[in-house]
Amino acid sequence: MTSCDRTMKTDLLVVGSEGAGGPAAIEARQRGIDVLIVTKGKISQCGASQMAGADFNLDGKSAIALGFPGDERDSPERFFSDIVREGLYLNNQRMVEKYVEYCPRSIKDLMDWGMRIYTYESAHAEEMARGVIASGVLWVRAIRKKVKELGIPVLQDHMVVDLLTTGGRMAGAVALDIKTGETVLIQSKAVVLASGGWHRAYRTTSGPYDLSGDGIAMAYRAGAKLTSMEMVQFIPFTVYWPPKARGSICLYIFSQFPGVGDFVHLVNASGERFMQKYDPQTMEQSTKGIVAIASELEVEAGRGGPNGGVFFSLEHLGPEMVEMIIQGVKAQFIERFKEKRHEFTHLLPELLEHCKVGRIECGNAAHYMLGGIKVNERAESTVPGLFAAGECSGGLWGAVRVASACSEAGVQGKIAGEAASECVSKVSHVSADEQQVQSVLECITRPIARTQGIRVAELTRRMHDVSGKKLWVIKDGNGLKSALEELKQVQSELEETAILGTKSRRLNDEWIRCLELRNLLTCLELSAKAGHARKESRGEFFRRDFTDTDNDEWLKTVEIAKQDGEDAVSFEPPVVTSITPPIGRLTFQEAIGVATASLTRK
Amino acid sequence: MEAEKTIRVECFRYDPETDRAPRFETYEVPLNGSMSVHDCLLYIRENLDPGLAYFINCKLGFCLRCRMMVNGKPCFACLTEVDADIRVEPPNKTRVIRDLWSEDV
Ligand SMILES: Cc1cc2nc3c(=O)[nH]c(=O)nc-3n(C[C@H](O)[C@H](O)[C@H](O)COP(=O)(O)OP(=O)(O)OC[C@H]3O[C@@H](n4cnc5c(N)ncnc54)[C@H](O)[C@@H]3O)c2cc1C
Ligand code: FES
Repeated sequence: MTSCDRTMKTDLLVVGSEGAGGPAAIEARQRGIDVLIVTKGKISQCGASQMAGADFNLDGKSAIALGFPGDERDSPERFFSDIVREGLYLNNQRMVEKYVEYCPRSIKDLMDWGMRIYTYESAHAEEMARGVIASGVLWVRAIRKKVKELGIPVLQDHMVVDLLTTGGRMAGAVALDIKTGETVLIQSKAVVLASGGWHRAYRTTSGPYDLSGDGIAMAYRAGAKLTSMEMVQFIPFTVYWPPKARGSICLYIFSQFPGVGDFVHLVNASGERFMQKYDPQTMEQSTKGIVAIASELEVEAGRGGPNGGVFFSLEHLGPEMVEMIIQGVKAQFIERFKEKRHEFTHLLPELLEHCKVGRIECGNAAHYMLGGIKVNERAESTVPGLFAAGECSGGLWGAVRVASACSEAGVQGKIAGEAASECVSKVSHVSADEQQVQSVLECITRPIARTQGIRVAELTRRMHDVSGKKLWVIKDGNGLKSALEELKQVQSELEETAILGTKSRRLNDEWIRCLELRNLLTCLELSAKAGHARKESRGEFFRRDFTDTDNDEWLKTVEIAKQDGEDAVSFEPPVVTSITPPIGRLTFQEAIGVATASLTRK
Repeated sequence: MEAEKTIRVECFRYDPETDRAPRFETYEVPLNGSMSVHDCLLYIRENLDPGLAYFINCKLGFCLRCRMMVNGKPCFACLTEVDADIRVEPPNKTRVIRDLWSEDV
């Protein structure tokens, strides 16, 4: 019988070291708990958090209490109500209450840990100023500093491959040391998953390369229930070309800058400002989701660019005016904020420079996953001892995320740290099930041993083809159904025939991508399955064959869990505390509050 | 799409466990608009040689873990634009784990 190369023991294992994982570990450590962080990258140099804007939200009254200008008219109740109304009522309202309550605490923590703050202003287009603005890099570095100060051990460049359960309780996990190829058995009483989204399941995404839905897929394999997997947010204006800027959302952020954002035109290949046809009143400033759908309809109609996008244009302003804008951007970021991030110091000014003489091809990118591991307001999943926080969890946002995901990570991380600390002080270690460890190890090493079959890169390409067509911004029943079949096919080929060019275990990049691909496929399959089950459109989820938002039939979340080896789909009404959801059927546009928009191709 | 031009990317290849000595492997990469060293390496990994090992995370200058030597000069792969043939090496050739990834990454 083979066993893991190394063994470690801790009370609490935290998977992921960033916006959610860091605060979870810090909270537990401060409560005297023995905690270990395992992360696929290096702390503060991986995940989505480092790349965030980043804005943190809190209600205007609490902002005043923390020393920000704030807004007396605002209140926690109002903040709560905005999130639920705009989330189109699918939110777990108990989680929203907890979010609103903990947002100020989580910001206070970051300030105490020394995070520098740029400014305080309105973000996410709210009426009220609720945004504390910093940068993702400043954020994760403040977390890293605190983690170091508390002496929390961090296992870096290690991929957690699977969770271990014994008699329905958490026993730990198996991890793979990416650099040496050694396997590590980590025994723990409880696990907090803070492993982010499944961005890399899509060829075009704003997310980094380490986000492969590992936490979500392994929680699912361990029997946890997932929720709202169909709710994926796409962000328009993402750079498609030139390649070196591909995936950057800096043009989207620019389009939201007060003062200059209104100048942005979005045009198709013939130079037509196409938003005129879809939302003549608000044009490019329309809701993100509407701009995303309109951009796709243009590309579908053959009016897109050579790279499948549309065009960001400032041509109508003339070069002098664009130069003034560039100087303004530099004054704001470099002089005022002392910004160091390349994306804002170099890339954005360079792209704007190009706009003096041309356009930039841009389009939608998979940006944020609203769904994930189903948790309650204490960050508990449906498996005892398993917690989830940040983007890998689901339930907070309902169908649209209108407040900060950075705050979500911080708040849920803190809550998970609290709840997991309580949990580990009550239970003792259970030993890992030898047979389970055995089968995890076999699964890890199988592709290395194989000599004939299909390369991982080829299977990845096929997955991206499916997600880019059938699980993209505009979906329909047939597409979702065939996507599911095709993904299952790729998954079974991966299991049975995937081969690697390199056989050595040391830093075998292709091997890691092979293990990630399994998780990416699982997330996509479940997203397709949930999407196929939801026969309506709502918020971030748009189906061409069911365009209405149907509050009579579909005020329920789609949940999936493994039962006797099969994925079992169930529907649950959202948890309601104080806002009773409305009844009736609305058009998609009415439901998201843009009555003027038309979403048919013209 | 028709490539603007094609360049030669010479990559340092070495697996200290199995190779007696490092070698260079040359790949032809089509340039299409402003491309970074990372864009070239991604092209190689996706189209020519999926086994080439190098570090990539954000590809936009956030993580600062993509240090490499390009034409003998230290740089970050995703922040360095390419317009002619290049030679790519790991940041420290004495501490290579595999190919372009050395202990200091
Ligand atoms: C480009 C970009 C810009 C954004 N801007 C904003 C913004 O302005 N405002 C906002 O509110 N939100 C923004 N978001 C969203 C927000 O940044 C994320 O939702 C949030 O940071 C997620 O934090 P997290 O800790 O849950 O996950 P992440 O920060 O993604 O961290 C995940 C961690 O888990 C690790 N991990 C993953 N799998 C494994 C494994 N198998 N084993 C071990 N470790 C693993 C990763 O390496 C990483 O450490 C943005 C997202 C992107 C991509
Ligand atoms: S890959 Fe992150 S800085 Fe280059």
